[in-house]
Amino acid sequence: MEVLQIKDLHISVGGTPIINGISMTINKGEVHAIMGRNGAGKSTLANAIMGHPAYEITSGSVTFLGEPLDDYEVHERARAGMFLSFQYPPSIPGVQVGNFLKKSVSSIRNEQLKARDFRKELNAAMSQLEMDKSFLSRYVNDGFSGGEKKRLETLQMLLLKPRLALLDETDSGLDIDALRVVSKGINEIAQESGCLVITHYQRLLDLVKPDYVHAMIDGKIVQSGGPELALKLEEKGYDWLEAI
Amino acid sequence: MTYLDMEIPSRSTHLWRYTPWKRIHPSKVETIPVSESVHVEIQGDCKYEESIRKVENSSEISRVFISECHDAMTDIEIEGRGQTIHVNLLASEETNIGHLNFNCKGEATILIHLSGKGNWTGLHITGTIDKNSIIGYGFVNELDSNSKLLRCEDWNVHRDSSLEYGELSIGGFRNKTDIRTNLTENNSSLNQAVAVYGMDARHDDHHMEINHLVKYTDSSLIMNAACGDRSHSIGTGQLLISDDANHSNAAQVFHNLLLSEKARADAIPELEVLSDEVKAAHGAASAPIDKEQMHYLQSRGLSNEQSEALIVEGFLVNTFSSLKNKAVSEELKTRLKIHLECEIMR
Repeated sequence: MEVLQIKDLHISVGGTPIINGISMTINKGEVHAIMGRNGAGKSTLANAIMGHPAYEITSGSVTFLGEPLDDYEVHERARAGMFLSFQYPPSIPGVQVGNFLKKSVSSIRNEQLKARDFRKELNAAMSQLEMDKSFLSRYVNDGFSGGEKKRLETLQMLLLKPRLALLDETDSGLDIDALRVVSKGINEIAQESGCLVITHYQRLLDLVKPDYVHAMIDGKIVQSGGPELALKLEEKGYDWLEAI
Repeated sequence: MTYLDMEIPSRSTHLWRYTPWKRIHPSKVETIPVSESVHVEIQGDCKYEESIRKVENSSEISRVFISECHDAMTDIEIEGRGQTIHVNLLASEETNIGHLNFNCKGEATILIHLSGKGNWTGLHITGTIDKNSIIGYGFVNELDSNSKLLRCEDWNVHRDSSLEYGELSIGGFRNKTDIRTNLTENNSSLNQAVAVYGMDARHDDHHMEINHLVKYTDSSLIMNAACGDRSHSIGTGQLLISDDANHSNAAQVFHNLLLSEKARADAIPELEVLSDEVKAAHGAASAPIDKEQMHYLQSRGLSNEQSEALIVEGFLVNTFSSLKNKAVSEELKTRLKIHLECEIMR
């Protein structure tokens, strides 16, 4: 089943072209990894798919579950089953994590949650991610370490059960133990959804096995392949791709 | 000097720059209206009795005016043992006047809730925090959206004592508030947190004066104002560290969240530091809602309106994070959440 289809996509930020013609199809159950240098356009791609207003799609198309995304507001994309794990999730002082999660899950599922049922579900997900319950009374990402932020992003993903998960450097800021826990969460979601993983490191792909790996340079996918491409990039870097 | 002998303050006077006296007076400035007492209901472990407010030798027009409108006062004596005292003030007449005077010892919490549909309310609250006491104080202004409020407070905090002061201002159409706190003896402190939410054409003017009169005194003032529609919030912090107040610490921070193009917010921290060995800091910032916060919440399925409401709630709730008195902060947070939920349903 086709989850995401991107055709010849061009994206600009503040009038500057960043993505210069990308095409890609992600089916249910597939994990695609995008690797590339800093500034290659990886995060731009993820943010534009999620509908961030600063990222302008200048040409090409994106369809999600067969529907063109052009007229979808950000919250409509989320409600349709799209999820972006932010590279730098912002803090929202004064908004408690527990309250935020309940509102979010309620919006996505379009139903009033029974407190008891939600608490049970929340406890199970937090336990899976080895998160302390004290998280729930803290303010969203306020004073969180890098690892805590990524755990909260993964917790949201587990609760929201997206059809498409865009993971923007979810492994950054995680120690080895945390990476193992977070990867377990990603693998669980990946079984039932399409997954686009943006990363710099093979260590995440050792735990979340990609079906396809794409190398991006200057806003273009210059090489696609299987997991072996990630190993080659880890070993040789990106210079050898410049000639392609 | 009586009110009618007093000169009407000029708008060039700092205190009356944003809300001139004639705009907050209940009728014509040369009149003293017939007034009724605010209905006072007190619950909790304390002693109280009716008395008379005497304003002697004051040159401050609000205080003199309120006392001449009506002088019936409720004296409240608190022997603190950790208890909470609830004071409900109901202003339902055309012109309402309330005088409260607190004498506080020990450790206690005072929660005041002001409501009612009266056209105009004048309120004068005074308080003394005795030595070695810890008093939490929460004030909620939830007057009807057509009401006007003139409120004055005067607090004296004595040796080794602290006043944890929280306020939520969500009621009234036009409000002028003048809160003055004197840190009168060594090791006295004030921790003040004020949250203001403005909607429609609400006008809320807060003047907060903190006087460090002796050595080793601490104060902290945080004011967060979220202004929507055509509302206007003014926060003035006037901090005095007297020449006899070395080794004092003071900080004032004002944050304004502007929710519409026509909303206005003025934050004016003013410091007068007459001692050398002190720490005094101030800051003020006004900004619209952070776009990244909005995008983040929207990406989690919340609509534009839901995202904005949650950010505003968080911004105002965060005002009270600095309060150590949980009874005060929880009361103010709960009142705020109920109010905002009602706003969404409106």
